[in-house]
Amino acid sequence: MPNSRIGVYICNCGTNIAKLVDCEAVARFASEHPTVAITKTYKYMCSNPGQEMIAQDIHEQALDSVVVSACSPRMHERTFRRVLQTAGLNPYMCDMANIREHCSWVHKDAAAATEKAKALTKAAILRVERHEALDRFSVDMCPSTLVIGGGIAGMTAALELAEAGYPVHLVEKKDHLGGNLTRTDLTAPYLDSARDLITERITRVQENRNIEVLLNSQVKTLEGFIGNFTAGIERGSPQADGKNQIQVGNVVVSTGYKEFDAARISHYGYGKLPNVITSFDFEKMLRAGRIQTKEGRIPQYVAILHCVGSRSQEFHGYCSRVCCMTALKYVHEIKSAIPKCYVSDLYIDMHAFGKGHEDFYRKTSEVKTVFLMYGKNEHPVIRKADPKDDCEMIIEVNEKLSGERIEIPADMVILMVGMESREDAAQVARLVNISQDKDGWFIESHPKLDPVATTTDGIYIAGTCVAPKDIPDTVAQARAAAARILGKISRGKIEVDAVFAEVDETRCSGCRMCNELCPYSAIEFDEEKRRSRIISAVCKACGCCVASCPSGAIKGRHFTDQQIFAQIEGVLL
Amino acid sequence: MAIRVNPKLIDELERFGSEDVQNCYHCGNCSAVCPHADDMFVFPRKPMRFLQMGLEKKLERSLTPWLCYYCGQCSVQCPREAEPGETMMSMRRWLISRYDFTGIAKLFYMSWKGELAFVVIIALLTGVGLSAYGLSKGDIGIYDGPGAFLPSSLIHTIDLVLMAVLTFLLAVNVMRMWRFIMEDAAKAPIPFGLYLKKLYLLPVHFFSQKRYAKCDPENKNRVHIPWITHLGIVLGYFTMLVLIVLFLDRLQAGPEIQWSVHLFGYLASIGLLIGTVYVLYGRLKKSQVQHRRSHSTDWMFLWLLFYMVVTGIIQHLLHRAGFPEAANIAYVAHLMGVFPWLLRMPFSKWAHMIYRPIAMYFAGIIRESAALDKAPQRSTQYLQPAA
Repeated sequence: MPNSRIGVYICNCGTNIAKLVDCEAVARFASEHPTVAITKTYKYMCSNPGQEMIAQDIHEQALDSVVVSACSPRMHERTFRRVLQTAGLNPYMCDMANIREHCSWVHKDAAAATEKAKALTKAAILRVERHEALDRFSVDMCPSTLVIGGGIAGMTAALELAEAGYPVHLVEKKDHLGGNLTRTDLTAPYLDSARDLITERITRVQENRNIEVLLNSQVKTLEGFIGNFTAGIERGSPQADGKNQIQVGNVVVSTGYKEFDAARISHYGYGKLPNVITSFDFEKMLRAGRIQTKEGRIPQYVAILHCVGSRSQEFHGYCSRVCCMTALKYVHEIKSAIPKCYVSDLYIDMHAFGKGHEDFYRKTSEVKTVFLMYGKNEHPVIRKADPKDDCEMIIEVNEKLSGERIEIPADMVILMVGMESREDAAQVARLVNISQDKDGWFIESHPKLDPVATTTDGIYIAGTCVAPKDIPDTVAQARAAAARILGKISRGKIEVDAVFAEVDETRCSGCRMCNELCPYSAIEFDEEKRRSRIISAVCKACGCCVASCPSGAIKGRHFTDQQIFAQIEGVLL
Repeated sequence: MAIRVNPKLIDELERFGSEDVQNCYHCGNCSAVCPHADDMFVFPRKPMRFLQMGLEKKLERSLTPWLCYYCGQCSVQCPREAEPGETMMSMRRWLISRYDFTGIAKLFYMSWKGELAFVVIIALLTGVGLSAYGLSKGDIGIYDGPGAFLPSSLIHTIDLVLMAVLTFLLAVNVMRMWRFIMEDAAKAPIPFGLYLKKLYLLPVHFFSQKRYAKCDPENKNRVHIPWITHLGIVLGYFTMLVLIVLFLDRLQAGPEIQWSVHLFGYLASIGLLIGTVYVLYGRLKKSQVQHRRSHSTDWMFLWLLFYMVVTGIIQHLLHRAGFPEAANIAYVAHLMGVFPWLLRMPFSKWAHMIYRPIAMYFAGIIRESAALDKAPQRSTQYLQPAA
């Protein structure tokens, strides 16, 4: 047995554990085990006195490993590993038995809970007897970054990185920078020009010598791991150096969105009724400076229909977030261009969540917009008006606030089409090895605490490829992604956790089963040796490959067969 | 059947005096503070919504604007300064123009110049016509009896002709009001008996204005001043109307005071004078919420009424004091106010004297018919399958 002087520490967690589990009995039980050198209980093991007590025992009792029976390792494993490290032990010589979440919090019978706590503690003792000292290692971090997508998000992230002094390769599929924002006239709620925003960004990107802008280009391959990616770029126009492979340390994915195809909703008549247009058709009209019908007349009645393709059972359940304020922006633009025009606004709910939005909504109602509310699963129907009517079209809908079925006159209907993930989003996700949710949006590492990172280290996401969002949120995400990358680059090296899987080349048959299974694409295949090889920097130690290998050639560090069998034996008492 | 939205309605109502309706976000505070709103008649929020949405047909068929006496508490409580009280007022003006089939009311409400021109022309025609008649047929020195400048019989005849015209116009308008409001007010047809049964509501509301008395917001005054002054105007006006139409010859006799009729005349004059001065003062000072905003037709209404009351009193005093020439001149001046006033009546604010009690009457009928609809024995007779 490698470790034979184990310290066992039973935490009361105030009364969280002690109210049900007899901690003293668990301690007495543990102390009877031959390899246990010392056993202690304490009110709060994670507190400073608790930590100091363990550190002191390590010195005085010459402990070689430690078991802490307390809460979930997700909560405090880092804490106790640090205690071991400061006391001079390898941090991996520690194990935790979860006698709170798995025991006192979920059981009622005190005696049975105490028995279970004993079993869990014994499992940890038997496991820690077999723990091995593991070393963390570090790899070099390439300071270049690849940004995929040259919209407002991509350009902002690129500028942030480039201005900090690091090289950026900005790859854009189209022949110009700016993305979807170049199709917009003014922005809500302050009615600033989108063109001004985007021109400023483009100019700064083009002037910055640290940014290489690759237009008409696509990333075709991405290999390697954080700090050491190799990207294969397909360039639209052949460059002088002809270099199609670039080395980067991190990747920002900011591929944006596409708009919902309004023709999918047949009762809106998009494509059939000439004056039913989408918000993007209308933006085009605004940028051309003339609001008119297809026949060239100035509309007397304009109706704006919200949530086209959004918040519905048939199409997308989510809210596209920008359409409400964009619709209000249209009201202002229409009213300032055609003061005599009457604008009706058909909404499901008015989402005015952002800064200045509620004021903007109020201002819009003050210019006498006819706000009409319809139900979430209602189908407003647009039809041609009678020749005797003074309008082109009629929208028929059940108005929710009045409870009346109403007909709204319209010479022009603007459909507020929502955002959708792009058709090539799946391809991009596969390329950089990240996941998509049911709607096709890229998934963040943690929706609240880690919103721009992904489950693949070194790959960051920003902007509307993650979910619909407005310009301020997009810019904030882009800058957040850049900040995360700068933090990594500034250390020069990247530390890799010591817990990962390893292939024993002598036993690997080269069947490649593990290559396909790995959810993190962490396994390469060495064609020359015909052996699989795990990129330890990418491996998350999930154990899939370990379990699947028919030759038993893969070993999970810190999760060896012996350790796990010992743990099972311990649970069985 | 879907109702057509008229987005222009909100602009149209602005010509009738509404303002800032678009600010309303339907919190319902106005309906909560209103002493008259209840489960059946929800206002001002509901008609405000109709107006915002441009549901012209719905608003045209609304009874609720008539149930409001404009205490102004809704406007005081409104968190968005959407002025529900003034909006209800403007709806009443608009409804008067809707009930009027001639379109003249709409013209008066939309154009103060048109109304003023109408009043001035009628006044001048009256003045010229009566002066010409008096100078050719009578003696300016005689006020009453044979050879009088303006004999009572002549004025009486003119009064009766005017009454006939007004009755016809108002009857048509009231029929239109009935059709608008009662057509889809009740689910089942309203039995005729119910119309008879509730008829008593007309005199009750006309003579007591009792719902107005409820408009005292804090209920702290024993006598609610706006109600008392309004009642003074209504009862004074009605008394004078009866006296003039039925007892004109005795009213004009003199110069001795005819106590049997003049006593009523004095009381009516006091009521009218105090009421008119109170409201005029209020509108000029803008001291109370309901007097903050005045439409041109409000001013025309009040100044004409004030003019009639004052010239009527002067004419009476001059006659009694023994100045028949001056009394005759004052009489012509008085009638120069009366005839435009009467001819303007079905197209103006004055018409609410008729519409409002009728609205109370309709409200009573609708309320009772709704109660009948809920009664089980009534529904069974409709369960017979259609053969």
